[in-house]
Amino acid sequence: MALADEVMAVRTSVTVADGEHLAAVRVSGRDAHELLDRVSPRQLFVRSGQMLHTLFLDDAAKPIADVYVCCDEDDYLVIAEGLDGQALAAYLRSQRDGLDVQLDDRASTHAFVCVDGPYAWELIAEVTSPDVIGVPYLSFFHDARFTCFRAGKAGEYGYDLLVPREHLSSVRERLLDAGQAFDVQVASRDALDTCALEAGFFNVRHEVRDGLTPVELQLQWRVTAGRAHPGHETLARRRGAVVQRVAMIAAPSALPTDGVLELGGVRVGRILHTRWSYVRDEQIALALLDVGVSYAGLRGFHCGETPVRTISAPTVNNRSLYVDPQRHSWARRASVSFPALTRPIT
Amino acid sequence: MSDLKASIAEREQLLGQLRDVLIDRMRLRREPDEIDADAPLFGAGFALDSLDAVELVVCLDTMFGISIPDNAMLRQYMRSLNTLADLVIAHRREHGARG
Repeated sequence: MALADEVMAVRTSVTVADGEHLAAVRVSGRDAHELLDRVSPRQLFVRSGQMLHTLFLDDAAKPIADVYVCCDEDDYLVIAEGLDGQALAAYLRSQRDGLDVQLDDRASTHAFVCVDGPYAWELIAEVTSPDVIGVPYLSFFHDARFTCFRAGKAGEYGYDLLVPREHLSSVRERLLDAGQAFDVQVASRDALDTCALEAGFFNVRHEVRDGLTPVELQLQWRVTAGRAHPGHETLARRRGAVVQRVAMIAAPSALPTDGVLELGGVRVGRILHTRWSYVRDEQIALALLDVGVSYAGLRGFHCGETPVRTISAPTVNNRSLYVDPQRHSWARRASVSFPALTRPIT
Repeated sequence: MSDLKASIAEREQLLGQLRDVLIDRMRLRREPDEIDADAPLFGAGFALDSLDAVELVVCLDTMFGISIPDNAMLRQYMRSLNTLADLVIAHRREHGARG
């Protein structure tokens, strides 16, 4: 299927995708909470069945993983993007000095399947139970065949299923079979990365460069100030002396990754991650700009000959904002008048 | 270049006002320079709730003279400080007023 069709399926119906970009490690033992509180820049306040969206940083405060810490009774499941299971376990092992903790990398025994879209909840309810409709964002539950995490980075309803490998093909087939009633499509990682960029979600696989920290990346909401964690000293220094910051940009034609941005003939930044937005019908990108011009709503930038303007994130008007599982359904979607997928003012 | 400077000044001033609303009215325990303009206001971000949304609607009205006619518009623009600022700037352009 063409990338445009995959993206529109994520935005308007439901998609199933492989989640090989995600790693999972189970953390158990008396000091499991202490270890994760030690490495999370965000205060680890999470009850059983809930997920905390945080980051793992290196000593230079560079994000190395985009992380959900999931409290599962006395244990924790750490779901990470940016590190594979071995590297994730090695990072946690490197931080556990003096702590009673066991680490179990799930890569050899489990895999992820990702279900996204404004009607993803309806498909998940079909293969699990109608109770799924009441599962809040950033929480999870155990099904007989998998663990279901209500997350996703497309800006739509999203469910990441952690499936034992022996059930993987049957779960996938069940989703695709049941999904026929919802016009389910298989989505590639490219499609989901495009949707994540449109929705303003951080992408640790494409947007991190040496020297960047949560301060430049507009990720300070994932940091609780005053806590000790890897990179906290660098972060504290950077806060008072930020010289560059990311901003979303848009252009009428293709932009190159790492392309230089100029304003009035002066270099003011570069492009970190760029993709064609099929929803907006223009190129969008996350750019690192000099802090004095890193504001939305500005025109006059150029990348080579291509005119560029800054825009606000998120760049799309996600349909999931308007789909209410208590009132709506895929079958009756035609009877609902949804707003456009872009805001009138951007 | 003067248009650019004016646009930056207007956005910066608006973001400052909106950050003050989050800190003073919604009791967000953050320093202003920790509240990034594109950070999500609800959900995983600053975890504002439906009562905060009502408070924001009131603030948009009292501070900028913007009344939100329907839920759809509310949801479109209550995503980040930048999307709120977009709304205020567009309203000023349309009405020629300064909030």
